[in-house]
Amino acid sequence: MTLLLAALAVLAPAVAAAAGLLGGGRWPGAVVPVALAGTGVTLLATLLLAGQVVRSGLGAPLAEATHLATVPTGTVPIGVDLHVDGFAALVSLAVGVVAFAVQVYSTAYLKGDPRYSSYAAFVSLFTAAMLLVVFADDLLVLLVGWEVMGVCSYFLIGHHWEQEDARAGAVKAIVVTRLGDVGFLFGIFTLGIAAKSFNIGQVNARAGSLGTTTLTVATLLLLCGVVGKSAQFPLHTWLPDAMAGPTPVSALIHAATMVAAGIYLVTRLYDVFLLAPATLATMAVIAAVTMLGAALAAVAQADIKRVLAYSTVSQLAYLLGGLAVGSSAAAGFHLLTHAAFKALLFLAAGSVIHAVGTNLMRDMGGLRRGMPVTFVTMTLGLGALAGVPPLSGFFSKEAVLGAAEETARHEGPVGAWAGWVVLVVGLLTVAVTAAYATRLWLMTFFHEPRGAGGGPRATAHDPAPAMRWPLVALAVPTVLLGLVGLDRHALPRWLGLDEALHIGVVTSVLSVLLAVAGAGTVLVAWRREPAADPARSLGRAAVVLAHAFYVDDLYDRAVVAPVRLLARSVGWSDDRVVVAGVAGSGRAAQSAARALQRTEAGNVQAYLTGLLVGVVLLAVGVVTLR
Amino acid sequence: MPLLMPLLVAALLFSIGVYGVLARRNAILVLMAVELMLNAVNLNLVAFDVYLKDVLVSGQVFTLFVITIAAAEVGLGLSIVLLVFRNRETSALDDLVELCEDTDASPTVPR
Repeated sequence: MTLLLAALAVLAPAVAAAAGLLGGGRWPGAVVPVALAGTGVTLLATLLLAGQVVRSGLGAPLAEATHLATVPTGTVPIGVDLHVDGFAALVSLAVGVVAFAVQVYSTAYLKGDPRYSSYAAFVSLFTAAMLLVVFADDLLVLLVGWEVMGVCSYFLIGHHWEQEDARAGAVKAIVVTRLGDVGFLFGIFTLGIAAKSFNIGQVNARAGSLGTTTLTVATLLLLCGVVGKSAQFPLHTWLPDAMAGPTPVSALIHAATMVAAGIYLVTRLYDVFLLAPATLATMAVIAAVTMLGAALAAVAQADIKRVLAYSTVSQLAYLLGGLAVGSSAAAGFHLLTHAAFKALLFLAAGSVIHAVGTNLMRDMGGLRRGMPVTFVTMTLGLGALAGVPPLSGFFSKEAVLGAAEETARHEGPVGAWAGWVVLVVGLLTVAVTAAYATRLWLMTFFHEPRGAGGGPRATAHDPAPAMRWPLVALAVPTVLLGLVGLDRHALPRWLGLDEALHIGVVTSVLSVLLAVAGAGTVLVAWRREPAADPARSLGRAAVVLAHAFYVDDLYDRAVVAPVRLLARSVGWSDDRVVVAGVAGSGRAAQSAARALQRTEAGNVQAYLTGLLVGVVLLAVGVVTLR
Repeated sequence: MPLLMPLLVAALLFSIGVYGVLARRNAILVLMAVELMLNAVNLNLVAFDVYLKDVLVSGQVFTLFVITIAAAEVGLGLSIVLLVFRNRETSALDDLVELCEDTDASPTVPR
């Protein structure tokens, strides 16, 4: 039954996607019902699965696996396996909820879009691929879902392909994530061949006998893919540019689900990662750098979606940090709450953009009067993001920080220093997070409408019900999901993990104080000059932050420019050497032929004379030279 | 009779035939010259058949084949010549040059 639900959750949106792609153009009226039905079935199936998880919290934890088929390869066979446990069920629920909310939201957001049918089909296909990743019990099957997600992401970022930035963002997203995926593929091979199985359960079980070098190499290679997919430093640059896609897509793919897939993969292979302390230490460092760097970059962004994008990068770093210090329960907790509140934030931002017709926060302002629903839900989302108790983000973030504190005090799978790094940087990031959340809140909803078209903006109002209700629905888990963390054993038990959440009093108080300090600083700067951008008071630093520490420019100089140069020289040599050689030999043959052409005058007797002369010469030659 | 005699006659006949094929303008005369060449070969075949005293007389058998094929060939050739003459009112070989290479419209390699 459980596995049937899992298979149904994967297949329903896949069927909807196929139907949408094949028949969407012919029956435009059926596009919306088909897309909603496919995702709706997924939502129901994942809800039932999650219900089983909660019920199983009383008895044995939910864990079921099935083997559907074996694909012989000559060496290690590929098994088409499904695996459902508490973690998978809860993550799939998050995917189902956000995907359904996004499908409903999109019906209004992209109303009248000429390519709506392919858009809805790709969202469905993405949902199927993500759930395949969640339920796959074989690394190569997981990889299939992983890559299909990447392709859907590419197509959906480039949905408005008439625009230059959408095309560039789509290409950048696929190229940068592909860079990580190369490592990912080799990581799978290393692990699969060493363990003699691609089955995740078996790989985890045999991890102990593999030797530290193999494990470290394999996990570091896998980490490349994780870093690419989850947009961590140094491969984070694609996510802000992916914001050129439609906002609901950003909510689904680039905030709630796909970018969390990297983290999810680490939790699936966590037994392997735990045996490679070097990889965990690398993860801690990457998490610390990304966490703080991305949060700082978010402070000075002008585009509301880019603020949220950098915020996503920063929050995903919390997940990675939680895993680095050895708590997959804390990471899973933050994954779920982040999926809820970040999807809410993106959808709310979408409704703001829909109302004012711009992404730039300096052209917003004063929207709280006209858009009360958006205002309230976005306030809740920002509160959760900034870690305001008792909203969900507070508890899950504290769980990560608590795990870091535990590691810092008592050592864990990784050295105490890694715990300290994640803890200290995590606390600093809390202050910065509160700062950029406050800035976004103030600039969007308070003071007077700004910008060139300030007049009509004053009449901005809440969007259609199809966009309003998803906001309200997502606000519920945003507010309530954190309360699960009050019982330190409940969530780990549902996830099927044998650990407890640590929510320390000291770190909690400290992070609330830091959040208040961060928010207060922005508030003070804003009070001084409410019409201006609070980030302006940072002076020169604001420019550096707005360019995200010039990482993109660095990559431009160090990678893109040399590659372009190489490509140009290859093109030149192709044009001047290869093509010239081919064309030259053709022309040489032609001019040689022109001399011979003269002899072909059409007189048959002349030809025969030539033939006779040739035969005589040959005969004489044969006789004399013999 | 020594072998030399028929061989000499055959060589002479063949040479006349070659001259006729290469030098005559009239297509009918060219066909007749071809007949001469074939008959020179026939003479050779018969002469060597006798000289080698072949039990199977394959030289004479071959000659019969050649005569048959030559008859068919002349029939075909003469009808072609007749049709050409009806269409063009000439049977001069050096006027029939329509199949020559067209030097002006030579194909070029694309750049």
